[in-house]
Amino acid sequence: MDMTLNAFTLYILTGLQLGSIFVLIALGLTLIFGTLGVVNFAHGALYLIAIYLAVSINNALGFGLALILVPPILFVFGVLMERGLIQRFYDRPHTDQILVTFGLAIVIQELLKWVFGANNIPFAIPSWGNGILMLHDYLPFLEGFVVYPKWRLILVVVSIITVAAVFALLHLTRFGLVIRAGMRDAEMMQFLGVNINRRFMIVFGLGSMIAGIAGVFGGPVTQVSPEVGMHLLVPSFLVVVIGGMGSLGGAVLAGILIGMAQSFTAPYINLNTVIIYLITVIILLVRPRGLLGAKGVFE
Amino acid sequence: MHNQQSFWQLNKAVILFAMIALTMPLWFPLINGYSGLDTKIMIFCIFLVGFDILLGFTGYLSFGHAAFFGIAAYSTGLMLKHFSDNIIPAIIVAVIAATLVAIVIGLLTLKRTGIYFSILTLAFAEMFHSMAMAMLQTWTGGENGLTGMPTPMLFDIKMQGSAVFYFTAIMAILMFYLAKRIERSPVGLMMKAIKCNQTRLEYTGINARKYKLLAFVISAMYAALAGALMVVYEPFVGHEFLGWHQSGEVVIMSVIGGVGTLVGPMIGAAFMLYFENVLSVDLGEQWLLVLGLIFMFVVVFMPGGFMEAVDRIKKRFITTADGE
Repeated sequence: MDMTLNAFTLYILTGLQLGSIFVLIALGLTLIFGTLGVVNFAHGALYLIAIYLAVSINNALGFGLALILVPPILFVFGVLMERGLIQRFYDRPHTDQILVTFGLAIVIQELLKWVFGANNIPFAIPSWGNGILMLHDYLPFLEGFVVYPKWRLILVVVSIITVAAVFALLHLTRFGLVIRAGMRDAEMMQFLGVNINRRFMIVFGLGSMIAGIAGVFGGPVTQVSPEVGMHLLVPSFLVVVIGGMGSLGGAVLAGILIGMAQSFTAPYINLNTVIIYLITVIILLVRPRGLLGAKGVFE
Repeated sequence: MHNQQSFWQLNKAVILFAMIALTMPLWFPLINGYSGLDTKIMIFCIFLVGFDILLGFTGYLSFGHAAFFGIAAYSTGLMLKHFSDNIIPAIIVAVIAATLVAIVIGLLTLKRTGIYFSILTLAFAEMFHSMAMAMLQTWTGGENGLTGMPTPMLFDIKMQGSAVFYFTAIMAILMFYLAKRIERSPVGLMMKAIKCNQTRLEYTGINARKYKLLAFVISAMYAALAGALMVVYEPFVGHEFLGWHQSGEVVIMSVIGGVGTLVGPMIGAAFMLYFENVLSVDLGEQWLLVLGLIFMFVVVFMPGGFMEAVDRIKKRFITTADGE
């Protein structure tokens, strides 16, 4: 394949942008899985709630309010979901957890379809994020005229900031230390007198909040329709599996990998539709625990 | 053998099912079931009994059985269209095709347990779905589905109306009988041991993977037969046959009915199809919402599904009778 530097740059950017959404959703999934051991099939539905809330608030009151309101609402929703439902399932088999979150995903999706209809709702991008960016003004190695939609670059920046914030929270704070210790051995933490359950509840809220952030910035890119949640859930699950269940670094790495793979195979439609699955199969055959999966985690 | 059970005791469930199934055209219209829906119920009974051999016996939750259902449906459709309108070779080719795919997917996915398995099977099914939509579009018809099949024939019999019904009903009875035989065979016992404690089974020197793969492939063959019959019943294949909705529907039917009981999932299938096509008239667009709520209620409060409810009622009835 004869590829110019211009085309290569655009593929890289598109890969990063596609990967960004996968990373944001997979981050919440793997965080919840790593701490609570729950496979959340309703995580796509959380994203769905986020984009519908975001589009409603954005179109009525402006983007600023959507950005301020949606993530906290999702946090509260996540906490309520953990207290009201997920909590009952800690002692039940994993399959039951999958089933109940799958049921919840259907209920949320159908409720939103009922309220908002099955069609795509246009998500107006705020004026400061609209339009295109002249890449050749910033990157001297590009030849001629190269542009990219501004909003998609903002999405990449937002997900980099979010990932950095989550890592900082987990590695630089006392709260993060307790959570990481809890991921290793929750029982031991309880023997030491730490109320790990309350902290895990907050982690569930955090995972849900990340889906909220993804919804606010991803909504204009992924469209706003009831099918989007499940469409994103499958690749995001694969990102989690490829990265290694419960590994945050793995989720980021795998998200970018999948994004790049989708971006670079875009000219070959046949390969493009199956590339994610091919990568999943190959990685799981070579490294059954995923790229950065730790030994002994849900084996 | 001194402990030989009588034929009636061993096959009570199958005989009852046969009686209910074969008389269905007589009583089903009385509860507003239209003709054709009874055939569909029989087809899904086959699918669900097979699915229970995997989920109910071994405890492996597959979210991708639509793959086998869909592959068999497409194979049947293509056979009817391009080879012969006789359904026998079409069904045989369809089941063989899906079985081969199941062996490959099974070998790859059964390396992992619980959660990984569910996600990986879902991924494989989605892969076939996107292949049908893009790569194989010329064969599958993509978005529009596969159409233009001739009226399916069973040698000289046109497979329409009651002919299709009795054909599928007899298939369903045979498949239920077979599943019951598997259940009480040593192989069935091994499969159930996997669900109880796989590690312990392996420590006794038994190759658990062999039985897992067997359960997976058998359940895929049931799914394939159902998929093939679906095309005989209605000569059309949509890409939805391969979609996650289809896989999810089967999971919901199983759980609502009662996993691991063989009979339960069939009741679940009948309930859900009846609900979807008859009761939904009053609910309109929101029937899926109501179904989702029922499903969640069952998972949270009644993990054993309808069969658990029946058991509870039976027990209460018997204990009160004893108390007096």
